[in-house]
Amino acid sequence: MNLLVWTLGVPLIASAVGLLGGPRKLHEAVMISGLVLTFGLCMATADQFLGGGIPAAFGDALRVDGLSALVLVLGGFVGLLAGAYGVGYLRRNEARCLVTPRMRREFFGLIPAYVFAMLLVSVSNNLGILWIAVELTTLASVFLITFHDRDTSLEAAWKFLMLGSLGLGFALLGTVLLFAAGQGHLGSGMSALHWTRFMEVAPQLHPFTLRLGVVFALVGYGTKAGLAPMHTWKPDAYREAPSPAVVLMAVGMLNGALYCVLRIHLISKAALGPEFSGGLLLTLGLLSVLIAVPFVLIQWNLKRLLAYSSIEHVGIMAVGVGLGAEAGVFGALLHMTYHSLAKPVALFSAGTLAQLHSSSDFDRIGTGTFTRTPVASALFVLAALMMTGSPPFGLFFSEMTILRAGFLGSHVKATSIFLAALIVLFCGFAFQVGRLVLGPPRDPAERRVPLPERFDFGMGTVIAAAIVAGVSAFYLPGPLMALIREATRVVWGGA
Amino acid sequence: MTTSDDVLILCAAGMLVSAYLIVGQKALFTAIRLYGFQSLLLGIVAATIAVSEGRHDLFVTAALTVTLKALLIPWFLMGVIDRIGIHREIEPFLSVPASLLACLGLTVIGYRVSTGFPEGARGVSHHLIGVALSMLLIGLFLMVTRKKAISQILALLTVENAVFLVAVGVTSGMPLIVELGIAFDVILAVLILGILVHRIVDRFESMDVSRLSKLKG
Repeated sequence: MNLLVWTLGVPLIASAVGLLGGPRKLHEAVMISGLVLTFGLCMATADQFLGGGIPAAFGDALRVDGLSALVLVLGGFVGLLAGAYGVGYLRRNEARCLVTPRMRREFFGLIPAYVFAMLLVSVSNNLGILWIAVELTTLASVFLITFHDRDTSLEAAWKFLMLGSLGLGFALLGTVLLFAAGQGHLGSGMSALHWTRFMEVAPQLHPFTLRLGVVFALVGYGTKAGLAPMHTWKPDAYREAPSPAVVLMAVGMLNGALYCVLRIHLISKAALGPEFSGGLLLTLGLLSVLIAVPFVLIQWNLKRLLAYSSIEHVGIMAVGVGLGAEAGVFGALLHMTYHSLAKPVALFSAGTLAQLHSSSDFDRIGTGTFTRTPVASALFVLAALMMTGSPPFGLFFSEMTILRAGFLGSHVKATSIFLAALIVLFCGFAFQVGRLVLGPPRDPAERRVPLPERFDFGMGTVIAAAIVAGVSAFYLPGPLMALIREATRVVWGGA
Repeated sequence: MTTSDDVLILCAAGMLVSAYLIVGQKALFTAIRLYGFQSLLLGIVAATIAVSEGRHDLFVTAALTVTLKALLIPWFLMGVIDRIGIHREIEPFLSVPASLLACLGLTVIGYRVSTGFPEGARGVSHHLIGVALSMLLIGLFLMVTRKKAISQILALLTVENAVFLVAVGVTSGMPLIVELGIAFDVILAVLILGILVHRIVDRFESMDVSRLSKLKG
């Protein structure tokens, strides 16, 4: 059978097995082996693409080009990391008797289901299927957010679902309007909603309808990506969801939603020229970076801090694409890659800190964590350095590429604001992380004693992820670099 | 103007009126029934276009709309309300007369935007888009001004009906398989929302979502 179909089928099967329930060991084995296999299949698919083929299925409804292949591989990688860390995370909670059989079923069922939906997003060539897949990721995350069943997790889940559904309503309207703009040119049947079909008939699309559709679709999918001002669900959801699920949202969903945004942008670019949707992306991206500034400075919760960092990074990617220069696009896609490698380390080490201290609020963790949990703290500092774009790590290079493209291009003013915001964000992050990790420990009498650090499965995953992310700064494997170049070709050339 | 055009305009107008009635309504049961009625009209719009243009796949859309949105979803939401025993919307953030006035303004905006669309094969598609955009704005308005969880779900569903009116009215329907997928997702979303409402009521002994305000900053 088709390689692509298997890539999507494996996590789906793993999810079904997880939902059925059974002994813990079986669950763990099925999920881990399923996700390892999935990642392998993702790489095989990308390899098939690099070998000159265009993997496709169901009459081109699923089709892998350069952009798809890049997002697919990153998605498979993140899915595997989330699964591996998830096993460790659940074991740790299980040792403290915090896990009910229902929670275990939800966890082992929903994580592979999320991976399935995420990968489906990245290979959809059909705008309808794209929408359905994004909606599936939303629905799969609701019960991951309410996983701990606290008052606040209900609040977060409600806000997430309301805002997410509204965003998806907009995205659907955008899709319908795009379809309406091509009436009489797109033909009928399933292939009428194919992205490739849209690109073929782009010059004939009705301009007004198209503009309206592009705005709705960009805002809608932008909500899922967490672009400001539709980002408000992110901090709440990140704080409440267990860390393995947050990684799926913060990297998998972010890449997936950005993939959707790029596809819409490309249709708009082919039909209306680069200024319209490019300008929109630049504005939203800049706004996201700016809006993260005050909230990073006043932040009171570790995982919310990372949520604002995630809003910042999606903003950076949007700015990179919106600048309208090939180097900017390349920088954005490089940023996506490095972000996908670095973000899991940050989330996992922060998640470990939070788990050991039984809370992710700063005042409950207490300052000076380095003396109490040295390994997790050190990993978190390393991750914070990567996330803020410090040299020699990868995000530094991608941010420099984007900045360079910006200053050489026509958006010098916007790039200057962008650079200023990045610098303030760096300082804000350094301040928060420094205070948390290195600050003077509080009065020993009132300090809560964390759980001891142990080198278990979860910690092993964090260290492995940190090594991968660290090495990637100096060495990106050739095929991955080729994928980034191919993806740039798709986004820049529109082919 | 043929008979089918008359039917289409009548149904679209009815949908808009029902959206206004939902805005003016405080009893949740009635609001849900109005939503069901609105969905029924949407089904009739789809069926009318199916007959007048011989597009038989639209019959499936019509049947799906009527069974899911006019019967199943209202029935499910009423069940949720019955079990939790809360029947009325408390005073919304904006009083009813003020809300209705605001919606009037939104309708004008919706119609104004609709003039930019090309006149399709059907002379009435202009009206359908006007109604749909107005309903979309009214749905958004409902979402920000209502406090009860169920009212917010209804607002979301109104937006969704508006999107489908555009899909049916302007494009004669999306490809069938996509429409099936969307319908499946919508029903799943409503189920999950219902479960969440349940949990919220269990926990807070109220479904006043304005109380969900612990998370800030």
